Amino acid sequence: MAKRLWILAFVVVLIASGVVGCSQPAAPPSGGEENKGASEAPKFDGEILLGIMVPVTGSEATYGKDMENAIKIAAEEINAAGGVLGKELKFTLGDDGCDPQMCTAAASKLVSSEVVAVLGGYCSGATIPALKIYGDAKKPFVILAANSTQLIDENPGWAFMINSPGYHQADAAANCFENLKVNKLALVHQGDGFSENLAQLTKVEWEKRGHSVVAYDVVNKGEQDFSSLVTKIKSSGAEGVYWTAYHADGALLIKQLRQGGYTGEITVADGSSSVQLLEIAGAAGEGVYCTSPPVVDFLPAAKQFISAYHAKHNQEPGPYAGLAYDGTYLLVDAIKRAGSIDPDAIKNALSATDKFQTLSGTVTFTPQNVLEESNFITIKGEGGKWVLVE
Amino acid sequence: MSLQEIVVQQIVNGLLLGSFYGLVALGYSMVYGIVKLLNFAHADVYMVGGFCSLTLLTFFGKTFLGNGWAGIVVSMLITMIVVGLLGVIIERVAYKPLRNAPRLSLLITALGVSMILYNSVMVITGGEYRAYKTGLGFQGISIGSIFITHTQAILIVAAIALMLVLHLFITRTMYGKAMRAISMDLDCCRLMGVNCNKIIALTFFVGTALAASAGTMAGVYYGSLHFFMGFVIGIKAFTSAVIGGIGIIPGAMLGGLLLGLLESFGTQIPFIGSEWKDVFSFSILIIILIFKPTGLLGKKESERM
Repeated sequence: MAKRLWILAFVVVLIASGVVGCSQPAAPPSGGEENKGASEAPKFDGEILLGIMVPVTGSEATYGKDMENAIKIAAEEINAAGGVLGKELKFTLGDDGCDPQMCTAAASKLVSSEVVAVLGGYCSGATIPALKIYGDAKKPFVILAANSTQLIDENPGWAFMINSPGYHQADAAANCFENLKVNKLALVHQGDGFSENLAQLTKVEWEKRGHSVVAYDVVNKGEQDFSSLVTKIKSSGAEGVYWTAYHADGALLIKQLRQGGYTGEITVADGSSSVQLLEIAGAAGEGVYCTSPPVVDFLPAAKQFISAYHAKHNQEPGPYAGLAYDGTYLLVDAIKRAGSIDPDAIKNALSATDKFQTLSGTVTFTPQNVLEESNFITIKGEGGKWVLVE
Repeated sequence: MSLQEIVVQQIVNGLLLGSFYGLVALGYSMVYGIVKLLNFAHADVYMVGGFCSLTLLTFFGKTFLGNGWAGIVVSMLITMIVVGLLGVIIERVAYKPLRNAPRLSLLITALGVSMILYNSVMVITGGEYRAYKTGLGFQGISIGSIFITHTQAILIVAAIALMLVLHLFITRTMYGKAMRAISMDLDCCRLMGVNCNKIIALTFFVGTALAASAGTMAGVYYGSLHFFMGFVIGIKAFTSAVIGGIGIIPGAMLGGLLLGLLESFGTQIPFIGSEWKDVFSFSILIIILIFKPTGLLGKKESERM
């Protein structure tokens, strides 16, 4: 009998922990506390439900939460100013976990919640599967951060990218290494849609400019030891290393490159433009360059947003919060111009966006629904912080 | 870098990686040897060890110990004891009641424990990467263009020392003798008056403590921790244990070091990129298993009819 009780107790613990584990992704649902800003606003004539699709669990959770916070700050401001078309903005969250399968589930969930439009998309690999789902369901989709060129090819016409696509960044990376007088370059990616695409684009661009790529390598996600790769890079004679993937593994690579005695230049791509990268890399992060999306810290227009973010969340907004904030205003502007929540009208209004002023610059879409002008900047790790390089 | 320098550097890289694999593999192997259980929770214990020592080191960093080697060694020893006891609790709560149940039930229980551990840590840490800050620098020994940091050298020596201590413990003490006896025949040992429950608990303590020490070393060396960091190393360590001959202590060490070296050299092979390094190392491991199905040091098992 005692044995049975033990087993029973164990099963209860197991189930309880399973519940905790499973409910974690769904833990921060929208609504509720977010409506405080609306209390002073006029009465609303119904609501407009928007979907947010970002990773709030997994290795990219930091960015996803930043973006969700920024969207809600924008929404509070909009609701306080009377909402959209007299209706209140509300949100529901789909957690894509930076994973293609979770992304499909999240997109289906948002579609079945009958959202008017969707904001989100951080990892390109976990955004591509959603394009068709939103296209089929006729949901306008503003892609906030993901920027692989595959997104352009597979866009059924309902998605709009407000971050510069990969080829803008390959250009920025090549400029950065040319300024550093690098000739022989090593490219390291992580085998996912985004980082491999960027590495490939950079390789093409770098060779087109008459330089050579001496190493083109991949590290597996989840592995911690890159020392054998470091030795390979050192022995290849590379003067610069470009890491095209995300910050958690990027920090490990930078640390191990310096630990292994590598003295060349290191640049990381936008997926790594996090303070956490410098924090984990420690002293090794000094002097590392980064081709970065428009981080609010460096944008003069973003002062008010940053203080609102500090006041509400007591932390830094992170690199993609600005784009998330911009995307919310852009979508709201399009809904206002459309004059209704009819999906075709919103889509046409988004296409017709003409020099819409955001924190990160002006937004005009090409016929492929991509930004016309690049928004990349170059920053550098100094004293544990990222500093704008002119 | 000349070819010789590359080879020497890759051997050092492989030894360090391999000693992490070996330390984790030992726990798999010991537990399998004694209760015939594939303890999937073992990889998560490695992760818990990392977080536990980070918490301690953050605390000691503010005392006279600092976050240099003194703080690290003290945190690691305390972590080994604390996480070792966690291993004993896991065995007592989750595995002991099922000792006479079918093997598959035990396997599923182990998976459940693994999920409990990493989900709990995910909830506590918020699923984010944590920086493991130490006071260690990048100073090291350089011979030509070969470069080994002091941290690397000390960690390799520490890992191998731990393995040797374990080996002596298993071969030279009464407890070790009891463990070996139980792995041969549990019921018989019980009849001979060996306190089997105590010895099994001790096995879990030692195996788990070793994984916790590996988790600490990984934190110190790589500088970051994540709730899912046990997953990949768990697979690699389990592979090491099988290659060396599961249940055999020196086999786990040998398997770990071998896999580490294969991965290092797999990265360097010309013409095929580093994306093929796992294909390379696992192909060789398959070949080894074809010729030695019970692992490198495995004995031929004769089935009595």
